Amino acid sequence: MSEMIKLSVFRYDPEKDDKPFMQAYEVPLSGSGMKLLDALNYIKWKLDGTLTYRRSCGEGVCGSDGLNINGINGLACITPIAGLKQPIHVRPLPGMEVIRDLVVDMDHFFDQYRQIQPWLKTTTPVPEHERLQTPGQRAELDGQYECILCGCCTTSCPSWWWNGDRFLGPATLLQANRWIVDSRDEAMGERLDQLEDAFRLYRCHQIMNCMEACPKDLNPTAAIDNIKRKILARKS
Amino acid sequence: MNNVGKMKQRPLSPRLSIYRWQATMLASVVHRASGLVLVLFVPLYLWLLHGMTGSPEDFVQAQSWLHSELGKLSLWLAGIALFFHFCNGLRFLSIDAGWCESRQMMRLSARIVIALTLVIALILGILL
Repeated sequence: MSEMIKLSVFRYDPEKDDKPFMQAYEVPLSGSGMKLLDALNYIKWKLDGTLTYRRSCGEGVCGSDGLNINGINGLACITPIAGLKQPIHVRPLPGMEVIRDLVVDMDHFFDQYRQIQPWLKTTTPVPEHERLQTPGQRAELDGQYECILCGCCTTSCPSWWWNGDRFLGPATLLQANRWIVDSRDEAMGERLDQLEDAFRLYRCHQIMNCMEACPKDLNPTAAIDNIKRKILARKS
Repeated sequence: MNNVGKMKQRPLSPRLSIYRWQATMLASVVHRASGLVLVLFVPLYLWLLHGMTGSPEDFVQAQSWLHSELGKLSLWLAGIALFFHFCNGLRFLSIDAGWCESRQMMRLSARIVIALTLVIALILGILL
């Protein structure tokens, strides 16, 4: 018989349960490369079909399976079982409204993303060919464009837990910075105007949970600091 | 949904109670707490100054309070709060300025500041 992995999974069915509870499961270890998502899939397919969670690509690209794993946010599909202390506590992303089990309401998160107008804004006429960048200008986007909007950082941020209605949160601010540092974008002033606000930007208190949680090894805290410096630079 | 009318309030997923503490998170929270301790120490300090400069009897009284357990504890707390707040403040300023902004340096600097504060707390505890 193969080695068994112990899990404790957050459960909540709005049609049956008054409040959420943790349910224990045991899943056989399927190999050294087994990821947490494999264990959740095993539960759903073999043990309990009612377990509900989001997943899609299974390789850390789509950002669907952001979860709180043993107290830290991460993607189930790229989190190896091997490094996790058992029983593995699997909960939904923190500070979110739970729709069912591990599925949370992401509407507000994506609405905040929309607020920063995440597209290239230009005023100059469209050139005959594409808008070119030097290799150096392109390199500015490294560490910014890789964000997959999984929500692991934003939902790890205590400032966002308590002021999420007004504070934009690390993911949205990292994305805002992505357009601010883009040499082709011509709306930096407008973008900074929108962000210069005691709540939207300045609720960041350098807690840095976002940086620790990011499954793509990005650094939203540094991106937020860069926006602050841009705002400071245009004042002096 | 067929029971929209009966839809109940969705529960909030657990957050602070379950989130695992990181060195950077601890450094940020303790920065706020130590700032509060320092502000609260100001009235205590003024009260002590007032007491010490009033009359010789008041001076003796204030001095004996300072050497009591509670007085020593206050000094110890204010001392470590000052040390931590100063060091972590420099850390925050440097990160704001764009130095030590890599993920590794953010982590390492938090650990260094916390470790130094623990050492200072120990030394101060022995000295007082």
